Amino acid sequence: MFLRRVASFSLLFALLAGRVSAQAVVEGRVTLPKPRAAPVMNKRYAIVSVGGVLSPYPPVAVVYLEGSFPKPTRLPTLQMAQKDLEFVPLLLAVQVGTRVEFPNLDDTYHNIFSYSAAKRFDLGRYRPDERPIPSQVFDVPGLVTLRCDIHEHMRGLILVLATPFFVLSDTEGRYRLEGLPAGHYVLKAWVDSQTTLERPVDLRPDATLRADFP
Amino acid sequence: MLIVSAVTALGLFFAQRNMAANVERDFQREFQDGLSALHAAQAVRHALLAERCRALARKPRLHAALEDNALDLLYPSARDELADVMGGEEGSAQESAESVLHARYYRFLNARGAVISPPEYRDAGRLPPEEEARLGLKAVPDKPQVGYLWRKADGYDEVIAMPIVSTETGDVIAAIVLGFKPSVLGDGPAGAKIMSGIWTDGQLHLPSIPAAAQATLAGTMRNGLSGRDPAEGSVEVRLEGTPHLLFYKRLNPDSLYPPAYEVCLYSLADSLARQRRLAWRFAGAGALLLFGALAASRFLSGRLSAPVEKLAAVSERNARFSADASHQLKTPVTVIRVGLEELLAGETLAPAAREEVATLVHQTFRLTSVIEDLLLLSRVDSGRLRLDFVPVNLTRLIEASLDDLGTVPDGLDLQVTVDCPPGLHVAGETRYTTLIVQNLLENARKYNRPGGTVRIAAREDGDEVVLTIGNTGRSISPAAQKHIFERFHRGDTGENVPGHGLGLNLARELARLHGGDLRLVRSDESGTEFEIRFRRAPLAAGSGTKIGSSHG
Repeated sequence: MFLRRVASFSLLFALLAGRVSAQAVVEGRVTLPKPRAAPVMNKRYAIVSVGGVLSPYPPVAVVYLEGSFPKPTRLPTLQMAQKDLEFVPLLLAVQVGTRVEFPNLDDTYHNIFSYSAAKRFDLGRYRPDERPIPSQVFDVPGLVTLRCDIHEHMRGLILVLATPFFVLSDTEGRYRLEGLPAGHYVLKAWVDSQTTLERPVDLRPDATLRADFP
Repeated sequence: MLIVSAVTALGLFFAQRNMAANVERDFQREFQDGLSALHAAQAVRHALLAERCRALARKPRLHAALEDNALDLLYPSARDELADVMGGEEGSAQESAESVLHARYYRFLNARGAVISPPEYRDAGRLPPEEEARLGLKAVPDKPQVGYLWRKADGYDEVIAMPIVSTETGDVIAAIVLGFKPSVLGDGPAGAKIMSGIWTDGQLHLPSIPAAAQATLAGTMRNGLSGRDPAEGSVEVRLEGTPHLLFYKRLNPDSLYPPAYEVCLYSLADSLARQRRLAWRFAGAGALLLFGALAASRFLSGRLSAPVEKLAAVSERNARFSADASHQLKTPVTVIRVGLEELLAGETLAPAAREEVATLVHQTFRLTSVIEDLLLLSRVDSGRLRLDFVPVNLTRLIEASLDDLGTVPDGLDLQVTVDCPPGLHVAGETRYTTLIVQNLLENARKYNRPGGTVRIAAREDGDEVVLTIGNTGRSISPAAQKHIFERFHRGDTGENVPGHGLGLNLARELARLHGGDLRLVRSDESGTEFEIRFRRAPLAAGSGTKIGSSHG
């Protein structure tokens, strides 16, 4: 399933980012909100807005370790494509300072923009062969809602995090975050645009901590 | 002749009476038409706004502004979409016809119904804060709401709150309120002076009357409405000494905004004067018509009752007089008709009066036909009508007459049977032979029953040709049968049948001039049958056979 692929991709990224400094592991399960039966008319949408709350559908969580960590010298450039009039992936977690490209893989125009406080931008209309691929650097932590000015249903989320340690859960809420530094931290689980769960964690080197939300 | 004038006078009397009654009704109708036009304009405006709001709700940027906590970008995002709704400059003196669709300002309401102030007024239109606050509602509405906002600067604005519904969830996520200059009832096309204004919040705005009178009316309205919020009502008031009708109708039933009423005031004095004026005009036209009819009757009565010998004695004068009479009688009728038609063409007549005048025009045609028949009869009576006999192809004449008859729409659905040998020729003068046949066919049609039959048969009988024309209508009573050939006799079945009772008399006179006769053969349950005898055309070798063969 598509969201699982997203999860494994981010997990890989988290592993790469964490390899240098730490060995601790935290795993567990986030109790996700029951997948709301999406209204018939937007069955195909994977980011749904109900009462102004944006959440992935089916639900998935982003688990991350909060704290202050040295900034990495180089960050990979990530991509959030538009394919078949959807964002791919629908939900992307990035570390502050990451450049995200928005390649257009459809054969129509797209106009990606965001009104979110964490990043306001407007890429304008562009075609599949637009080079360089339109991109943005996300340098303020927060949730960025992406929309397309041409295709009203398109919606994507980028969660900009101050930490290099984060992972997407699977749709059951299971997650595993590896290569973490030892110490006292706050572990957070982003569930939707209005809900972020958190709990303190005490990470030990070479130990696996079980941490469920809530 | 007396009958003509009596019928005309009676017709005029009823027409006039009808019209007087109609004038008041027309006025009401006109007023309601005005209101309907106003409401139609509002409906157009609503439809336009509803469409605009649907388009707005589809705008990703609007959703982004409302859902992504970016209210500062709300107005800029809506600007392009609403640019054409906003139209001209704020306070522009140019009040064009399109101004009903041009808003003066707009504001968004958030999901709780409160006004979201624009960051700047440039695009959203200027509005003092206390007036802006009154655009808000207790909750965001799920259907359009109409309200009236009193503005200190320049009277009332009509405001419309349209919900913005999420295309995704169907939820009302916000609303947009647009302010318009209210459209007002103008002078109707028929010139009715209707003063219109708005009542809301205990205040009356009726700019076309003096302030003092407004205060009086405001008091009347307050009493009339006191706490009941009726859908509509009316009350007669005296304004500066003249009676007026004050009519009010709720403009925004079931609105979340305070109740408002369209208030219309029209002078009953105006109405009465107008009624009088129309009555005079009508009576004038009627009198002219009556005069014409009387003149015709008088003249003809004189002519017809005069003894034949006397007529013969003054035949020379008659010949001239007859030509004069034609002119003297037909001209006034034509003048009346033209006058009436001009009256019809003008725009001053109310619809009901128009109908009546149209009926009068129709009457003038009947009068003309009566005059023509009478003139012809007077020529017959005086013995001045002489026929130039030629062979007339009766078969063809019948066919042609039937064709003419077929073009008259009557809904009678008659069957016509013709039993007539081809090329039957009679001695006659086509014009008058035709008149005989036409008159009888016309009678056979109009006195028939729906679905009945017209039977036409012709045969040679020695030196004569016998034409019988029968219909299957109601029989003529034996008593009436004696009189059917008299002038101005109308069949007792014919109350609703058009005609003037000269047709049969004329047909018989003409048939006798042809050297033949017309008589009633029978009239019973199986129908009524007339028989006309003509002289057979002398078969002057060439022409007769020639005509006969070409149509055989």
